[in-house]
Formats: sequence, C-alpha cells, structure tokens
Amino acid sequence: MAIKIALAGNPNCGKTTLFNALTGSNQFVGNWPGVTVEKKEGKLKGNKEVVIMDLPGIYSLSPYTLEEVVARNYLINERPDAILNIVDGTNIERNLYLSTQLMELGIPMVMAVNMIDILEKTGDKIHIDKLCKKLGCEVVEISALKGTGIQKAADRVIELAKQKQSMKLVHAFAPEVEARIEQVIDLIGNDIPEEQKRFFAIKLIEKDDKIADQMKQVPDIQNIISLMEKEFDDDTESIITNERYDYISSIINECCTKNKEKKLTTSDKIDRIVTNRWFALPIFAAVMFLVYYVSVTTVGSWATDWANDGVFGEGWNLFGINSLHIKGVPEYIEAGLNAIGCADWLRSLIIDGIVAGVGAILGFVPQMLVLFIFLAFLEACGYMARVAFIMDRIFRKFGLSGKSFIPMLIGSGCGVPGIMASRTIENDRDRKMTIMTTTFIPCSAKMPIIALIAGALFGGAWWVAPSAYFVGVAAIICSGIILKKTKMFAGDPAPFVMELPAYHMPTVSNVLRSMWERGWSFIKKAGTIILLSTIILWFLMSFGWVDGSFGMLEAEQLDSSILASLGNVLAPIFKPLGWGEWKMAVAAVTGLIAKENVVGTFGILFGFGEVAEDGAEIWGMLAGSLTAVAAYSFLVFNLLCAPCFAAMGAIKREMNNKKWFWFAIGYQTILAYVVALCVYQIGTLLSVGTFGVGTVVALLLIIGFIYLLVRPYQESKTLKVNVASVK
Amino acid sequence: MVKEGEPNIIKKVGGKEETRKFLANLGFVTGGIVTVISQMGGNMIVNIKDSRVAIGKEMANKIMV
Repeated sequence: MAIKIALAGNPNCGKTTLFNALTGSNQFVGNWPGVTVEKKEGKLKGNKEVVIMDLPGIYSLSPYTLEEVVARNYLINERPDAILNIVDGTNIERNLYLSTQLMELGIPMVMAVNMIDILEKTGDKIHIDKLCKKLGCEVVEISALKGTGIQKAADRVIELAKQKQSMKLVHAFAPEVEARIEQVIDLIGNDIPEEQKRFFAIKLIEKDDKIADQMKQVPDIQNIISLMEKEFDDDTESIITNERYDYISSIINECCTKNKEKKLTTSDKIDRIVTNRWFALPIFAAVMFLVYYVSVTTVGSWATDWANDGVFGEGWNLFGINSLHIKGVPEYIEAGLNAIGCADWLRSLIIDGIVAGVGAILGFVPQMLVLFIFLAFLEACGYMARVAFIMDRIFRKFGLSGKSFIPMLIGSGCGVPGIMASRTIENDRDRKMTIMTTTFIPCSAKMPIIALIAGALFGGAWWVAPSAYFVGVAAIICSGIILKKTKMFAGDPAPFVMELPAYHMPTVSNVLRSMWERGWSFIKKAGTIILLSTIILWFLMSFGWVDGSFGMLEAEQLDSSILASLGNVLAPIFKPLGWGEWKMAVAAVTGLIAKENVVGTFGILFGFGEVAEDGAEIWGMLAGSLTAVAAYSFLVFNLLCAPCFAAMGAIKREMNNKKWFWFAIGYQTILAYVVALCVYQIGTLLSVGTFGVGTVVALLLIIGFIYLLVRPYQESKTLKVNVASVK
Repeated sequence: MVKEGEPNIIKKVGGKEETRKFLANLGFVTGGIVTVISQMGGNMIVNIKDSRVAIGKEMANKIMV
C-alpha cells in the first residue's frame, strides 16, 4: 500500500522548494478537476511507496478562495495518511493559524519549521520541544533551501503515517466556546467520522456555507449560533478567529524568544527603495528594459536566429567555424526520406507541412527559455510580487489587476506562456479579462508582419512598429473599460491584497525547474495542436483541382488549391477592410498556425518559393496590390484577431470552459474586424476622399464604440465562481 | 493617516464580509499590530504579524487604526 502524504502550508513558506527537494524529478503536474488550480504530485526520492501531494498554498481552510476549497476537499475526502505542515519560522504567528485548523481534521501531522537558517541570523529562537508539547504534534526544524533537516522530516512523517493513529487534539479554546462546540458535535450524524467531527462542528459554527455540501445530514444549529453571538457580542466567525489567535499568542509567548532589538529587516529596507513612490517606476522600467533587452534583442534573437535559420533552416556552424558546419534538421530529414525512397506527397507533407510548421514554432523555444529564466528568477526572489503592487495603481483604472502586467509582458515574447502566466491572478474576473486581452500585445511572431507592411508600403517608416504596440495597448485599455461595463464582468473590482514574500536568493535548480516547466508545456503544445493544424493546412494548400481532376499541386499552382477556393469564399468578408483579394484572406488564415506564416504565405502566393523574414522580395508586388491604408488595415486585423492555434489552445486550457473560450476568440476577432474596418474606411476618406456605405458604417461603429467606452457603469453580480461544483 | 514605520493597533476592520474574513485569515484582526512600510498613491505595504502584505487603497481605508 502506498502512503499518501499531503504537504500543506501558507503561500511563500517554502512549500514548493521542500516539495522539489523531497521528490526530485518524480513529479506529475496537472490540474485539480474543474478548476485551474495546479495539482502537483510526486514520489519521495528513494522510497517509491510514498506519494507526496503538494496542496496549493493557503492561509486557512475557509471557503473564500478556490485554493482553500480545493485543499480542504482533498483533505476531507481523500484523507491522506499524514500531513506535513510547513511553517515559516520567521512568520510563525500567522502560519500557525492554518496549523490549528489542520490539526482539527484528525489526520496525523508533523510540523516542519522552515527557514531555520534565517532565524539563526536574526537571533530569534523557537523552542521546538516546548512547541511540540504545546501543539501536541511532532515538530522538526528544517531549511528547505539549504536542505537541512528535510530527511528527518520525511522519516518522521512516514513513521507517523504507518502508525495510522488519528491526531489527538491538545489545544482548546475558552471554556464557553468549547461547550458550544461540544453541543454541535453531539448533533452531527454518523456520516462524519468521529475524528473529523470537531472540524465540521467549528465550520458549522462559523456559518461556512460550503461545508454543508460535504455532509449527508446538516444539523440545524441556528439557535446555538444566536446564543453564542449574544454571549460574546460578536459574530461567530470572528469569535473563532479570535480564539485561534489568542491560543496562538499563548503558544508564541512561551515557545519563542524574539531578538529584542527590533530593527528593519533587509527586505523592509529593500522595499523602502523598490516600492518608494518616486523610485518604484524608474527601477521597474530599468529591470524590465534589462530583461527585455537581453532576452529579446541580444541573447534571445541570437538564439532564435540560430534555431530558426540554423537548426530548422540551412544549418549552422559549430562555434562559428565554417568547417564545423552542421546541417539543419530539414536537410537531415530530407536526406533520410530520400534514402528510403519516400513518396513525393509524403515528403512534401513532412518537409513543407510538419517540419516547416512545427519547426517555426519550436524556433522560438530558445528565446522563450531565456525569457523564462529571467521571469523565474524575478518570481523566486520576490520582485514579481512587488511589480504587481506597483502596477496595480495604473491597471486598476481600466479594470485589470496589477498582476495582469506579468502575462502581458511575457506575451510580448510569446502569447502562449503569457496566457499561462495569468494563473497567478486569483480573481476569476481579472484572470478571464487578462486572458482575453493578453494577445493584443504584438508577440515576436507578429514582428515579421509588421516588418513586411512597413517595408512594402511605408518605405520602412520608423513609426510603424511602435504604432503596432500602441494599437495593442489601446486595444487592451479599451477592452478593459468596455468589458468591465458588460454584465459578464460587472461588479466591484477585487480588492488588492497580496502577501509579499521576503526577498531571497533563489536556488539555481528552482529557477531552472520553473523555466523548464513552462517551456515544456509550450513544446508539448507544438507537438499536438500545431502538428495537427499544420497537417490540415498543408493538405488544403497542396491539393486541389487542376484541369478538372483532383490531385496534388505544384507550389506554383497554389491558386487552384482547396485553400484558394476557401480564400475566394472568405475574400468578400474582408472587402470592406480594403483587402478583399483571396490571397490576403488565405494569408490571414495561415496566420492562425503561426503569425509569421503570413509572410511566408505571401511569398508562395506571389510566386516566390522562399522569402526573407521580412519578405523583402515581395515588397514591390504587395505595394502594387494594396493601398497604404488597406495594408495598415490588414496589419491591424492580424495584430488583434484570434491568435495562433497554440495561443488559442492556451486560452482554452486556462479558461477551462467552452463558452468563455469562444467568447474570447469571438471578441478578439470582432474587435479586430471593427478596428480594421474603421482604419480603412476613415483612412480612405481622409486620403482619397471616397465616401460610401462603408464610411457610414465605420462612423456608426466609432460612435457605438465611444458609447460603450463612456456609458455609465452598471452594477451586477452575475459573475460568481461556482465553488460548490469543485469536487 | 498613519506614519510610515510606526506600529499601530487595529481598532476595527470594516468592509464586506468576504473581504473582512480574508483579511482576518491574513492576520488583520482587531487588536493586531500593523506597521506601514511604504505607501504609493494610497496603496500600502504593511507589516502584520511579521509578514509583509500589500493592500490596495480601498482595502487600506477599511482598516481603522
């Protein structure tokens, strides 16, 4: 029989570090069913019989956040054999609040007091033996970061789990409160195991509305509650909270000796500067510039060029030496296929379809990994939490939270990890809004489109690229304001409360692990959704009717392909946007696979097999078939419309709901259409003076848009997370 | 208004029940000691029970000291 051990503790108490130290690489990461809360499970290093479950970081077992409900339902229903409760020794009072609740569950528990190395430095002391006696559970000292004591903690908790004795509760509240709890316990039916009754009784007294879902028969204790409230002149939940803190203070007084000299900690000193009202934004801008500069323009672009043009292109030279030339992956595959005498169509599928499509995506992996290292470092050292705090003031104004900034920043590299980063936003409404708007920021794959349009029609004007970012930011701000006023998102914005972890130097392995987790989920996506969609698109592009017979086409015959027929159907839709030719429609569709495909598709459509990244060869032809205004409209549409399949997959996963997924995609596409339409119609009116039905429609749309922006704010309460449905 | 760096005793926590409960879980209870570390346009970073917590303006206004 495997032993199940749950790891529970506050956020930022070093739980994940301990989990990684205990399990090494034997981890399985997934989602808790029905919610986007990460579920991590792992096997103990050196003992495969022991399964460790990393519960989400929580402050209590109350029902106010998804994490709390998930953790508590797991503890009640799955009943792990033991709990390893991690407690941050530098912040023991707040951490013990959760511990007192965990102990009431009757599950054997070992407490691990973490950050013992920092305690030694500050001169504070925790008397483990006294704490042990007072709490009635085993207590061990550990330092998860340095690895001290963790083996002992693991041994103790396994031993305890094997004994299978339920926890004996030592702590007691004030006699009056205890008497009431006893009364409620007597009323609880036998569907609740004896050792859990106290937990349920307290939750019932606290008027916890989610606890009834876990019980077969709910006793009516209304009269007990009202008696108690009269007795204490307070509401029952506050009574219990106060009782807990009173009890904790009594423990603290006896078991901890604090260093008398109360001086500001290093973290406080850093915060004084980093979150100072004058220095905060400049420091933040400098950090972001550095991260961006290194990961996107220098090391990043070098890595991307190497991956895109080298590994998935013409090959590369080891250490830059010509004689050490290593061929690109496509060359190897082509050689291999030729050697086995592969059929032409299959070779085309593999080389032009799969390798080109998936390779284009994988080419971004090195750059993303560089960006992820920085982000993982900023997160682990504690600065990311401060960023959310600094940006909150600004983002609040258009209905987003300060935490939305991080996804958008990552999204400027690639939308997929950007959308995934939205997980850190607890508030459901803020998170959904962030997921919907993150991809408006031009990602690195949209750069070639911008370069193409700027080069072909605007003579490489300097302002085109910044204007694309401006369009993206404006789309986010306007969407924030408009969506906040719709029924779906209305309501008070979630108040900003966030614990700021103490600054500390993260370990190399933790940073690398976090980088790899994100990078890997991106690579997996490239291997599934993108692989499938490239095959479909390849088929649509390579087959068609020539001279009345269906068959495979030469690259130059693309205008007879199935895709071209589809393009002809779609083209009229884009006519009002100024680019109603089937080639443009097809290019926009291929952009769904990966945005930089738009340029490549133009290359093929205009009869050039291969074009440079910015499509310099086709500038002339493109300029001949589009006006400048139409080209800008095309650019805007491609920037704002539904992102590539990979990002759509990420949206679907993070929304975890079909309706919301389609709403997000639909909103993005409609917004893109409307904005592109207005750009073209108004632009044409101003430049050529054409006035027609389209112009009127555009003007009406602008008026409607302005109305949506400035209309009064409506109060509504429809958007509520249904926590009860979380199993 | 509170001064930075000075410990204050919480007299009352106001606001909606849900947010009040969440604050209580973080240690913001009547009688608790809270120290403001820094302020930015009404948003604050405070020290409560030895941990640092960032709270928005609306929240901060509901904690009376």
